[in-house]
Amino acid sequence: MSGPLRVVHYVNQFFGGIGGEEKANVGVSVKTGAVGPGRALEAALGEGARVEATIVCGDNFASDQAEDAVRAISAVLDRLKPDVLVAGPAFASGRYGLACALACKTARQRGVAAITAMHPDNPGVASARRDTYIVPTGTATTSMPAALAALAPLALRLGRGERLGPAEVEGYIGSGVRRVHDRGRPGYERALDMLLDKLHGRPYRSEVPYAAPERVTPAPPIADLSRARIAMVTTGGLVRKGNPDKQVSANAVRYHRHTVAELESLSPREWEAYHAGYFNHIVNSNPNYILPLSFLRDLERQGRVGKVHEHIYALPGVSTPVAVSMGHGRSIAEDLKSGGVEGALLVAT
Amino acid sequence: MISAIYNFALTTGANRVIRGARIEHVCGDPTLSPEKDYAFGMRIVTTALEALTIAVPGPTLFDPMAPGKTQEAAHAS
Repeated sequence: MSGPLRVVHYVNQFFGGIGGEEKANVGVSVKTGAVGPGRALEAALGEGARVEATIVCGDNFASDQAEDAVRAISAVLDRLKPDVLVAGPAFASGRYGLACALACKTARQRGVAAITAMHPDNPGVASARRDTYIVPTGTATTSMPAALAALAPLALRLGRGERLGPAEVEGYIGSGVRRVHDRGRPGYERALDMLLDKLHGRPYRSEVPYAAPERVTPAPPIADLSRARIAMVTTGGLVRKGNPDKQVSANAVRYHRHTVAELESLSPREWEAYHAGYFNHIVNSNPNYILPLSFLRDLERQGRVGKVHEHIYALPGVSTPVAVSMGHGRSIAEDLKSGGVEGALLVAT
Repeated sequence: MISAIYNFALTTGANRVIRGARIEHVCGDPTLSPEKDYAFGMRIVTTALEALTIAVPGPTLFDPMAPGKTQEAAHAS
């Protein structure tokens, strides 16, 4: 190496010393050398690197005027041609996290290596983890020293043009991208070793990453069912007879909304199931088994339920990736809410 | 959520889980007489509706067939 690595640091208006929330709209400016946390970053990077300049940008500006921010950051990077851009750490600050992700993306597009750090729950992670190196941090600035200690060695290697190894080895947040590589020993040997470790109470690590299911805060109870609007949703693959909407039987990329305002129950002459995950013939003889309209109509007549919502929602809940299912769920929930629905029965086969 | 595979619903985070009959006929049982089939389905549906009126701390099972009562709340561990 001819000299120390040249680092440009990206921070928001707060860490750049311009001001707090009231200054979140300020545009992109450049300060020579390290500013604020950049000094600690420089110390963590050691002798081999120097923070040449600090890009400061208001979090609102980076979000509301993203194109202008990208243009300004690009201009700075083209002028300084650093070896690596370090953004943040952003900790749990959502807008800052998204801005750091934007800065890193901009750097990569200009051929500059980039890395950032933030809390795993920061929305910047979801938006950028596939193509950006993100080092996990705590939620608060008190975790700054640990964050910089983890980030600095990776930034140095990226600045030298190295490519990082797998996330689990290097300590950044997994990108979700799988690369084929040789683990050296066949799977059955690794599996048996893992089993032995487990049986002996020794630490072991699964090769299949486990994603804990999302915890959703329970909806508050309905105070008065006899006044409540109740909707029905089914993942049992309910379709109109003959499947005129051309729904798939698995891995659904869309759900269908049907109107049942005029219906007393679901007739097998008009409805059927199209679902690759169970035998559909019983439902085909009585579709109310997966969408209990006939029961709800009786309860509505008896005054035990206020109103049966006029729309039903249906899709086959089988072989669908969790992320896609979450999208369906959010979309249906928004539609139910805007329709004044207070409670929904989801029948899952 | 009404599901015959209710344990799966509980472990994946559904908050109000109602035990359904079977995967192929969640809200009823065609092997019963039409009257009993309907009564069984109605019991499942009313248990689900009552569950909507009860505050739950997290994934909770409501079993329409629990003896002596219309719903039984059991917290998933």
